[in-house]
Amino acid sequence: MNGRIRRIGALVKLSLLELWRRNDMFALLVLALVLLVPLSMARPFGATGATRYFDEAALLLVWGYSLFISLGVGGRLFTSEFANRTVYPLLAKPVSRGELLLGKYLGAVAAAWSALAFFYALWAVSSALRGGECLSVCFFQAFVLHALFAALAVAAALCGSFLFTPSASTTLLAILFPAMFFFGRRLPEYAENVSGALRWLVDAFYWVAPHVEFFDMRQRLVHGWGGVEPGVFLAVVGYGVAYSAVLLLFTGILFNRKRL
Amino acid sequence: MNDNVFEINNVSRAFGQVTAVDGLTLSLRKGEVTGFLGTNGAGKTTTIKMLIGLIRPTSGTVRLFGRDPVESSVRARIGYMPEMAYYYPFLNVRELLAFYGGVCGMDGKSVKSRTDELLEAVGLVDAAKRPLKTYSKGMLQRAGIAQALLNDPDLLILDEPFTGLDPLARIHFRELIKKLREKGKSIFFSSHELGETELLCDSVAIMKKGHCIYHGPVDRLAGDGGGNLERLFLDVLEKGGVQ
Repeated sequence: MNGRIRRIGALVKLSLLELWRRNDMFALLVLALVLLVPLSMARPFGATGATRYFDEAALLLVWGYSLFISLGVGGRLFTSEFANRTVYPLLAKPVSRGELLLGKYLGAVAAAWSALAFFYALWAVSSALRGGECLSVCFFQAFVLHALFAALAVAAALCGSFLFTPSASTTLLAILFPAMFFFGRRLPEYAENVSGALRWLVDAFYWVAPHVEFFDMRQRLVHGWGGVEPGVFLAVVGYGVAYSAVLLLFTGILFNRKRL
Repeated sequence: MNDNVFEINNVSRAFGQVTAVDGLTLSLRKGEVTGFLGTNGAGKTTTIKMLIGLIRPTSGTVRLFGRDPVESSVRARIGYMPEMAYYYPFLNVRELLAFYGGVCGMDGKSVKSRTDELLEAVGLVDAAKRPLKTYSKGMLQRAGIAQALLNDPDLLILDEPFTGLDPLARIHFRELIKKLREKGKSIFFSSHELGETELLCDSVAIMKKGHCIYHGPVDRLAGDGGGNLERLFLDVLEKGGVQ
């Protein structure tokens, strides 16, 4: 058991180091900070509504950043291993493919979460400076659900990297996730207005596609509406965990079948 | 008692219509150094991948230390270096070895002492703090040798270990192999470097189009024609087999 934990721990550490030593990630981080800090600190004419609008925009930026980072890290986890041939000496060590997949996935999730925690901490500080309540139940729920979204996005990017080319997978998911984020909750409404095969397709898509909009608590946080019911919160957590687990399981099957 | 480190029995491996390895039977005794020769596409890398459990044979059996190479306990006893790997460019060689040590389940203290020993052996002490992205091809190859030796393996499997090594590094590597042989380690390596193979090996196996056309002592091969390994390697390939 100790050996297994040590093996997975080494893989997690590798993914974290990879993310934090990449120059493009730092450039993006600085860019996001440059945009995020003025947005969250802005008090246009002292109008509460306008302040909330800027707050929401700042959180939307954090969502964009976390999507970019999750897709980038998840999609690259194994493509670089295959391209650089490092997967061969790695699999020649006493590590199973399942452990390798899990370790790398957890590392990528940890990397995405560390970036996310940084942004939420920053947002909380700026909110506190403006006299807002920052460490509320709603804030905690928003962070946990956002983190679960990041874990799901990493799993999807990882799975996509085994099915398609890395760029195709990233492009597809970079379209799918924002589309679901903004329009996912309107799909049933749309399905009502169409018929035949298209209706069937929209319904199928609704049940299969990842409902990333479930994880979005920006408006509750910004407008001070408070957290969701514990039952609802746990149901969304369960949905995120189950969806990620299914994607990982499917990726595991693909990895086992992959010709090395 | 069987003292074979590995046994490949009538193994074939096909990729679609192409048969990369066809009815191969090969073994390596404990403490033996064997060179694995053959032209490009002869089936050497496929055989090595089957040996370390990366791919399964289409038919036949592969046994390492009497067991299936897929088992983790078997792989804990081998060290493998691939043909040319571009190790994680964002790490330095100490971090690389710490990572592989963790993957092997080694504790931090033993990884550190082993790292010091190996960096000295492969001549990377001065470059230990430099990121791997700044390494030359030969330096990466030496880092690869260090990672293969990290867990003090009983069997060392090397795919083209001389690629990219400068003459001095070759001499150091040769010495390293000799020391490992003295310690009773078994070594199996593929190579196109016939001179190095002749100097290092007890025996050679020569592959041609997926078949092993010669497996035996180097001196016997040399004695057959009375010349060096290079000329005799060509003779064997042209004749299609000695045995």
